[in-house]
Amino acid sequence: MSEGVRASRQPSHGGLKVRNPRDFWGGLALILLGLFAVWASRDLPGMHGFAFGPGTAPRMFAFVLMALGIAVMLVGYFTDGPALERYEIVAPTLICLSYMFVVSGQGVAPRVVAAILLLAGVVLAVIGLMGPRRQLVRGPLCISISIIIFAVAVRPLGLVIASYLSIVSAAAATPEVRWIETLIWSAVLTVFCVLLFPIALNLPLQLWPTNLSWSSLLSFR
Amino acid sequence: MTDLLQHLLLGFGVALSPMNILLCLIGAVVGTLIGVLPGIGPLATIAMLLPITFGLPPVGALIMLAGIYYGAQYGGSTTSILVNIPGEASSVVTTLDGHQMARQGRAGPALAIAAIGSFFAGCVSTVLVAALGAPLTSAALLFGPAEYFSLMVLGLVFAVVLAKGSVLKAIAMIMMGLLMSMVGSDIETGQSRMAFDIPELSDGIGFVVVAMGVFGFAEIMRNLEQTDTRSVVNAKLTGLMPTWPDLKASAGAIGRGTVLGSLLGILPGGGAVIAAFAAYTFEKKMARDPSRFGRGAIEGVAAPESANNAAAQTSFIPLLTLGIPPNAVMALMVGAMTIHGIVPGPQVMTKQPDLFWGMIASMWLGNLMLVIINLPMVGVWVWLLRVPYRLLFPAIIIFCAIGVYSINNSPFDTVMTAIFGVIGYWLVKHDFEPAPMLLGFVLGPLMEENLRRAMLIARGDPSTFVTRPISGVLIALAAILLVVAVLPMIRSKRDEVFVESEG
Repeated sequence: MSEGVRASRQPSHGGLKVRNPRDFWGGLALILLGLFAVWASRDLPGMHGFAFGPGTAPRMFAFVLMALGIAVMLVGYFTDGPALERYEIVAPTLICLSYMFVVSGQGVAPRVVAAILLLAGVVLAVIGLMGPRRQLVRGPLCISISIIIFAVAVRPLGLVIASYLSIVSAAAATPEVRWIETLIWSAVLTVFCVLLFPIALNLPLQLWPTNLSWSSLLSFR
Repeated sequence: MTDLLQHLLLGFGVALSPMNILLCLIGAVVGTLIGVLPGIGPLATIAMLLPITFGLPPVGALIMLAGIYYGAQYGGSTTSILVNIPGEASSVVTTLDGHQMARQGRAGPALAIAAIGSFFAGCVSTVLVAALGAPLTSAALLFGPAEYFSLMVLGLVFAVVLAKGSVLKAIAMIMMGLLMSMVGSDIETGQSRMAFDIPELSDGIGFVVVAMGVFGFAEIMRNLEQTDTRSVVNAKLTGLMPTWPDLKASAGAIGRGTVLGSLLGILPGGGAVIAAFAAYTFEKKMARDPSRFGRGAIEGVAAPESANNAAAQTSFIPLLTLGIPPNAVMALMVGAMTIHGIVPGPQVMTKQPDLFWGMIASMWLGNLMLVIINLPMVGVWVWLLRVPYRLLFPAIIIFCAIGVYSINNSPFDTVMTAIFGVIGYWLVKHDFEPAPMLLGFVLGPLMEENLRRAMLIARGDPSTFVTRPISGVLIALAAILLVVAVLPMIRSKRDEVFVESEG
């Protein structure tokens, strides 16, 4: 999805005169998603005789999606529509993708890619947060980071620390944040979560860090 | 008829056990709560509460989750009337006349008529679910793979026709959902598809993950962009009871809203939101003096509020009888049932009559509770509305995060939710509606399975979908609907409905 996002950030005047940028770039992203799916299902066997193979339906849907993407793009090119509402989601996308690479394979190579993506995401995030559109960067970035922090911290660090960190970083998503209030409110919510999920509902959640080591911290699972 | 009574008796026997009464109450209260609070819908809440139901017996779990859905329809009206912000997507139209009534000092009657209308609709649709359950279940036995496939096509077409905005983009969203549902293992060969060697993906992308990301997190990202301006009507809520002329004026509207809502709820692709819009528009067309609408007409509150509640309940019919979820919330109920080892479909009624009828009976009970929860306790909900969003949304995020994590104890799922949050935010920015995508995502595996089976039975001849009578009728209906939706003249009218109700 990030390709479409990057594309949509290019100025829509220039060489092209797109009359409905929302549809035009949206359609393009769908085409790219379809292409990605065709590539991802390239190894799956297709029809044998009149029976469907594992790859038949995915490719069928992908091709229809691409066709629809082209149609949406054309409609967006030729008919008038509202201007694109601004958004900034490249940094959170990169950070999320980085996590996907960490978990997608063994060995060093995926981790190197992940580190590069993470670095790029963080740099972009910092630049964005200092730039003129910092309020647009802030919401999606803080919320994604808050969820990722919870995901990677809940096993090694336990529910209490993970929730607290996660709530504080989520609260930072709005410019209305008041820090003292947030720190107290996060503590209240953490206590509530502890009382509700592991105690009242008996869900198997570790409360505090156990057997903390670098390998458990860096497994990210 | 005696059968029906016997079944209902069985149902009430189940629903009236102290445990189930309590769970129904919890569901109704939580539903009201999220209905009242803008920015969090029943979908995200049910997803959030799924793990909570693990420890419960299946009947109790489903009673509670159902309570959340129809409870939200009640609660949504409170916010619409008092704050002029829809607490729930399905009460968007209630803001038009409901808030006007509140500003004229008639908040009490508006709230009361919303609750009375909802209660009436709830009673009628409960009976409807009970009455239609048996015949539809036997109809389901006539269905083969081709018929199931065609029915799902019809459902998706309905979702397209009823979604607002571009038909083309709605179909594209369905296709995206279908494509996403292909991730995981192939049903027949078990071969891994598009899973990139990530073990967590071998079972496919979780439905809760997609729903919570697209409807929970994306919604929050979007809400954060708008600065919060809520002005609760401060006038004392006196004179809760509507006057006799009020009741007389709204009786017809409640009846029409109930019928319309029940119909739209049963149809695949429909649901509470559409029902409310349709009922309001219909009422306005029917009225002798349409200009009263938007200026505090009580029918403008009564009709949509009855309709959304009726639809919320009748949408259980296709789920419980055919095993096909007609909308996104019902799709989540499929997930809930699967977690408890129940396969939704015609066999539920015969194999687990206590579950089927217990749930139906609990719906009526829940509606009764909701009237009590909503009317005398309205002050509590008003107080809740004053909690600022900056405190509310971190709480929603952490509950969602813990909820999604504890379904599989999987950090990966949690991160996926964040990704779908970003995707959902992007979709909204590009005017793509996420609801058809979610429906496509849920129906994807079912559709593929039935398509493959039907093709196999017909020895690869796709004309089987048209030549088998039931399937042919369903496909024809779908085609007609699609043509009607694409016809520009009707298109412009369709947009008009939404423009005037959103304005």
